[in-house]
Order: sequence, then C-alpha cells, then structure tokens
Amino acid sequence: MAVQGMWSGTISFSLVAIPVHVVKAVKPGRITFRTLHSKDYSPLARRMFCPKQGEIVPPDEIVRGYEISPDKFIPVTDEELESVSPERSRTIEIIEFIDMNEVDPIYFDHPYYLVPSKGGEKAYRLLALVMSRTNRAGLARFVLAEREYLVAVKSSEGALTLFTLHYSEEVLSDDGIAPKEGKIEAKEKSRMEKNIENMMADFDPGKYADERRGKVMELLKKKMKENVPVEAPAGEEEEGEGPPDLVAALEDIMRDMKKNR
Amino acid sequence: MTRGTIWKGYIHFGDTDVPVKLHAAIKEERIQFHLLHRSDHEKLHQQMICANEKTPVPPEAQIKGFEVEEGKYIIVDPAEMEQTTPESSRMIEVHEFVKTEQIDPIFLDRVYYLAPDSDISASGYSELVGALRETGVEGICTWTMRKRSYLGALKASGKILRLNTLRYADEVISIKALELQEIPVSEKELKIGSDLINQLTVPFQPQKFENEHQKRLQKLIEKKAHGEKVVLLRPRILQPTASDQLLQVLEASLKKAA
Amino acid sequence: MSRKVVEIAGRRFALSNLEKELYPSHGFTKGQVLEYYRRMTEFILPHLKDRALTLKRYPDGVEKDFFFEKRCPLHHPPWVETAEVFHKGERMTACLVNNPETLLWVENLASLELHVPLARTSSPETPDAMVFDLDPGEQATILDCARVALILRELLTRLELASYPKTSGQKGLHVFVPLNFQGATFDDTKKFSKAVAVIMQKNYPDLVTAKMAKEQRKGKVFINWSQNDASKTMICVYSLRAREKPFVSFPLEWGELEHPAGQGNPEGLQVMYSEAVSRAEKMGDLFREVLVKKQKLPHL
Repeated sequence: MAVQGMWSGTISFSLVAIPVHVVKAVKPGRITFRTLHSKDYSPLARRMFCPKQGEIVPPDEIVRGYEISPDKFIPVTDEELESVSPERSRTIEIIEFIDMNEVDPIYFDHPYYLVPSKGGEKAYRLLALVMSRTNRAGLARFVLAEREYLVAVKSSEGALTLFTLHYSEEVLSDDGIAPKEGKIEAKEKSRMEKNIENMMADFDPGKYADERRGKVMELLKKKMKENVPVEAPAGEEEEGEGPPDLVAALEDIMRDMKKNR
Repeated sequence: MTRGTIWKGYIHFGDTDVPVKLHAAIKEERIQFHLLHRSDHEKLHQQMICANEKTPVPPEAQIKGFEVEEGKYIIVDPAEMEQTTPESSRMIEVHEFVKTEQIDPIFLDRVYYLAPDSDISASGYSELVGALRETGVEGICTWTMRKRSYLGALKASGKILRLNTLRYADEVISIKALELQEIPVSEKELKIGSDLINQLTVPFQPQKFENEHQKRLQKLIEKKAHGEKVVLLRPRILQPTASDQLLQVLEASLKKAA
Repeated sequence: MSRKVVEIAGRRFALSNLEKELYPSHGFTKGQVLEYYRRMTEFILPHLKDRALTLKRYPDGVEKDFFFEKRCPLHHPPWVETAEVFHKGERMTACLVNNPETLLWVENLASLELHVPLARTSSPETPDAMVFDLDPGEQATILDCARVALILRELLTRLELASYPKTSGQKGLHVFVPLNFQGATFDDTKKFSKAVAVIMQKNYPDLVTAKMAKEQRKGKVFINWSQNDASKTMICVYSLRAREKPFVSFPLEWGELEHPAGQGNPEGLQVMYSEAVSRAEKMGDLFREVLVKKQKLPHL
C-alpha cells in the first residue's frame, strides 16, 4: 500500500474522534542508491515527461486518467476521487472491534504507526490502553487517493499500530496446494516433533541480518577509504571565467605573486 | 515448473528435507490509472531527468551512487554490485522454532503457499504439517531467492505449509522512537472504554468487507465516460473530542451502543 | 544501566546506550561523544546557532549504517527550537541547535556529524561566509591542500579579504572568508569563488583543479566552489567526523599550514577529539572572526 509519507486526519470509534497522523512503522532495509548522470554525476529524478511536447510536466498539470479503450482516457480529478467516498477520506472510522487472535495473519498487508496530533493525546492513550486490556483491535476502512483500505488498528506497547489488510477476495484459494495423498508415518512425525522440540527458541529477529546488505555496506566502506567521493555540479554551469573586473584583478595578483616567489 | 510456481526449493532442518514449490497467496486487482497532461490529456511517461540539464537521460548513461554527504557520491558499478549477491541455493534452512504468538505481526511481510514438489515428497510434507500444527510453532528460516536473502516463518495452516517472509529487525521502527507521552487515564475512563469496546466487538469476518470504493469508482468512471455530470462532495471532517469531554463522550457512546 | 537521566538548564531527559562504542577501533563510546560535545558546547554553539541542522546519525557506530535527516525528528522535545525551511522546493521543519540541551539531545540521537548551511534560517539566501572546500583527489593529501590553501590565502589577502582555515576532519581543508553583511548573495559568492578556483587552476595546473570530474582530480586538489549554495551544507567547525578515527573539523592557524607538524605525515594536521578539547580550552575559538568580521567581495 502507499500511504506515502504522512497522512493526517481523525480516527474515530463510536462518538470519540481522535486527531492523528500516520507515520511509517517500517523502513526499507535496502541500502538506497541515487541514480546519477554518468557524465557529470548530476542526480537524476523521476519526473513525468510529455513525449509529445518533449518536456517535463509539473505536478499541478498532471491529472489521473482511466484508459477506457486503447489510448482513450477519462480524466479523474482529485476532487472527484475524494467525492467517491467522502466519509472515508479524512477519517479512519472504526466500525467494529475484533479479537486480534481471530485474524489469520495472511490478511496483514503493511504496518504503520498512528501518533496523536495536538489535542488527541489523551483519547489516543485511552484507546491504546483499552484495546490492550481487552486484546481487541479496531476494524476500519479509509480511502487514500484512488484506493480504499480495510485496516486493523491494534495496540502495541502503548502505541496504535495500523495494519492494512487484504480484502478476502484478494486471498487466493489454497485448493490444490495440499498433497493428494501424503501418508503420515507416526514414527517419522514424532521424530520431526522431537527435532522441533530440540530447536525451540524465543523469537528474536535481531539475530538475523540481511547478508546482502552487509556485503554492500562492506563494499561501500572499502570504496570510501580508497576513493574521494565524486560530486555533482551545483546548478547550471556558468560559462566564462567570471566577472571581468574580478578576473582581471585576480590575473594581476597572480602574475605579481609568481614573480615574487 | 508448473503454472503458478514462483520458485522451487527444499525445507531443511535436522535430518529432514522436504522439497517444496512456492505459490502466490495474494492477488491484488485494482483499478489502474495513468497520468495525463491536464491540458491535452496526453499520456505521460516517467523519465529519469538530469537535475543539471533538465533533460531525460537514457539508461546507458545512468550510474548508481551512494550519497555519503549532501551531493557527494561513491560510485558503485554493476559488476561490483554483482559481487554482493548472495550465493544461490535452493535450501530453506530452518534455524529454530518459535511459538506463533511470539511473532509480532509487524514483522510479517509476504505470504506464500508451499506445495510439495512431487508425489515422493508428499509424505514428508504432510508429516511436517502435522508436526508444526500439533506443536503450535513456526520455523524461523532463511533462504536465497532471486539474488536476495530472505528471513521467513514456516507454519502449518490446515493441511498445507505457508511461508511468511519476515522483515529484518532493523527495518522495524521502534515504538520508543515515537516518544509517546504517558498521559494518565482514570480507572473510570478505562472501565467505560472497555465496556464500550466489548459492546462493539464482533467476530472477524473478512468476507463481509468488499472493496465498495472500487465499485463506486468504477461507476464514477462510467458516468464520466457517458458525459454525465459528477457531483462533488466535500470530505467529512470530524471535530476532535476534547480531553476534558472524553468521559462524557464515552458515556454517551456506551448509551448509544447498548 | 545504559540509561542516565541528566538535568540541564532545568530540563531533564534520559541519555541512552552510553557505553556503546561508536568508534569501535578507538573504543570511543557514545558517553564520550556526549562528553566531548558537552565540553565543546561554548565553542560550537555560536556556529550552529540559527542554522538549519542536517543530522547525520550513526546509531550503531561509524562502521554501521547511517542516515541523513534534514527534518527535525517528529517528536522532538518542546524546548528544541525549530524553523520552517525550504529544501529543493519542499517545505520542512528543521532543528536549530540554539541551546546546550538541544546539542545534547541531537548527540543522544548519535548524530556524530553536524552539518549546517552557510546562511541562517532568518535569511536563507544571505550567506554569512564564502567557503573554499579543498578536496584532495587520489594520490593527493591534506598536505597538498595546505599548499593550495596558502596560495589561496595570499590571493585573498591581496584582495584585502581575511580568511580562516579549518580541517574538514576527513582528508581536506576548508577556507572560510567571513562576509557578515546584509547584501551578500550566494550568486556572488559562487561567482567569486569559481573565478578564484579557475584562476588558481590556470596558474597551478599540476596542483589545482576547479573541475568536478574524478579523472581530472588525480594527484590534484579540487577547489570546490560549488558549496557556496543555499541548498548545500558544510560540516560545522568543531563537529566530530564519522571516520575510523574520531577526528574533528578543527580551526587551524595559518602558521600550522606553513610548517605542518608530523614530518610529512598527512595525519599530522588532523586534530583528534581529545586534542580538540585541550586546544580549544587553551586558545579559545579560532573561528570567532568568521561569525563577526564584516567583509565585502571586491570587483563584482
């Protein structure tokens, strides 16, 4: 899902409304690289480009379009999109509460944190405490741009965590996955169970690191020691050597300096 | 590979090896929009634009740099990146088993269904399903797939195995970083709040929820395609509950729910 | 064990992971980093004041991942002063290190390096100094930078401009020319510094380059004039650098460049954290003039 950057609005249950904003709960562990121009190391940026006019199109000249037939588009404005579900675009309305243990983890899509906005701190804290006490999560729907999300809001260490959920129609059937005939030999199974028992541990994901990331970091460290970083030019390169008076003065001084050296 | 198979490998722990095939478990279908130029509805393309020349740069003139300081980069070429790819392997190595309830859902990333790779492995597969189900545990495992190393949890669900990729610990932002204040809440507020939540609790029935918005959006597009006028509606914005009104509003909510 | 609550200016907050080694090869811990900045507060604070801080955080030490933060972390304490700034067209809230407690707070976030722009947030388009960032290419060292800096200094002196050098704390030197007058613009400082860089390159082609491209920099010192830009930041004087060794970006006297210590060892010019404290306490702030001296760029 793509609650990009930040969203702010209200989370509500029954008559209580809490101003909140959505922040990231996870950050990509990948080491991010910038794409640069090989010629002069200028950074490149993804921009929308009009092939017909051959120019970059600024965001305020862009509109979404649905392709109704090949190369024929119906434009849809932000205001029209917001009108589709006006009650859900600024409010995360908890419609019901559920027992968190009943949720098949296959439904979890992406986590975010909610943090209280000004004035919402107390009601936020109350909702977090009460949901943790009852082990309940709130089920809500809300809309962002062209998408509506079914979300579960749960409490975790005093914070509200928002999980976007998959719709049940998005969960593929697992028919045909199970073996047609897998004879279970009791002896084999109990041997496995014994193995499992011997390998029991507490969940500690911190023990595992992304092998690739470590290698990339090593490579970068090595390169940083051996190389001076390259740099992109600042803005447009001005032609010429500079203001004529200054250049003349500098040249005079230089001549004199070298003579006296 | 059979249709729908994403990857093949084998689960390994102790002296157990179970060959499996990965299948997708989720399929998202959504209305796709394109981006158009507002003035003439020309379809726009994404291009990499040079900050200096303000013109598109073709892929062959693009290089990758790691920003060490504002505007300063260490250049890494594709051959060097290639050296960092983990060694390819087919083994899904289970390192340990943990109780399901210990895995915070924030770590869960993507789910795959695992099918036995052949009839020969069917018994081992079913035995593993049974063993995991009866012990109520999941296997924490690592594997390399398409040049990336993964961390995952292997679990039984009904008669099948599922593999859930997990986020690495340092990808999860700590709740401490939110620096939430511990505002005191009275026992009375907690009690009424809990009663209210209990009143509003129902069983989890995801089938109840359809993507209504998607359907309405489809209608909107059809309307516009037929040249009908679309009525614009303002988004609803709720008035936040004031802290000193919280107890009152909770009581009113409880009355309403009962 | 690893948390310690401190009170500073009547404000209490908790410092964490004090025994964590942020410079593992030197056993230099986070506690020592905090202590370094505490002792350097009176010297560094005037140079950070009212400038939008870019944090460069090393939560797991200099050998591990780091991240830049131009935005002030969302949940900063209320006593951290902030300013609204525009960066590349994007509006954001930046931290201002305007008091000792904020300095301690950003260091508790393991922001070993403190980067600030050449302008204050109240007048983001008015640089209060012009800078020459001397960066040695491959096979060149800080000693070559020292030679270039001395030539540069003479050139500037003849233009009646006083200049002040500091180590970058990495491999190079920074030469600052204080301006501190209302009418200064980045346009002017960029034009001026570029013209100087170009003339230096023309006259000392074996020693100096004004060009960015890496192949042009081998064995030479690159005079990076492009730092004179509203969107750029410089490492703040007295900031630690996140290298293997805990070097500091430290102000030098010109005499030190004329007769560099260390008998040809480039590291002779570098200043370690411990030396930084004793030198600053003895000599005071050698960079004080950079903040107050008023100078105008001639011949523009």
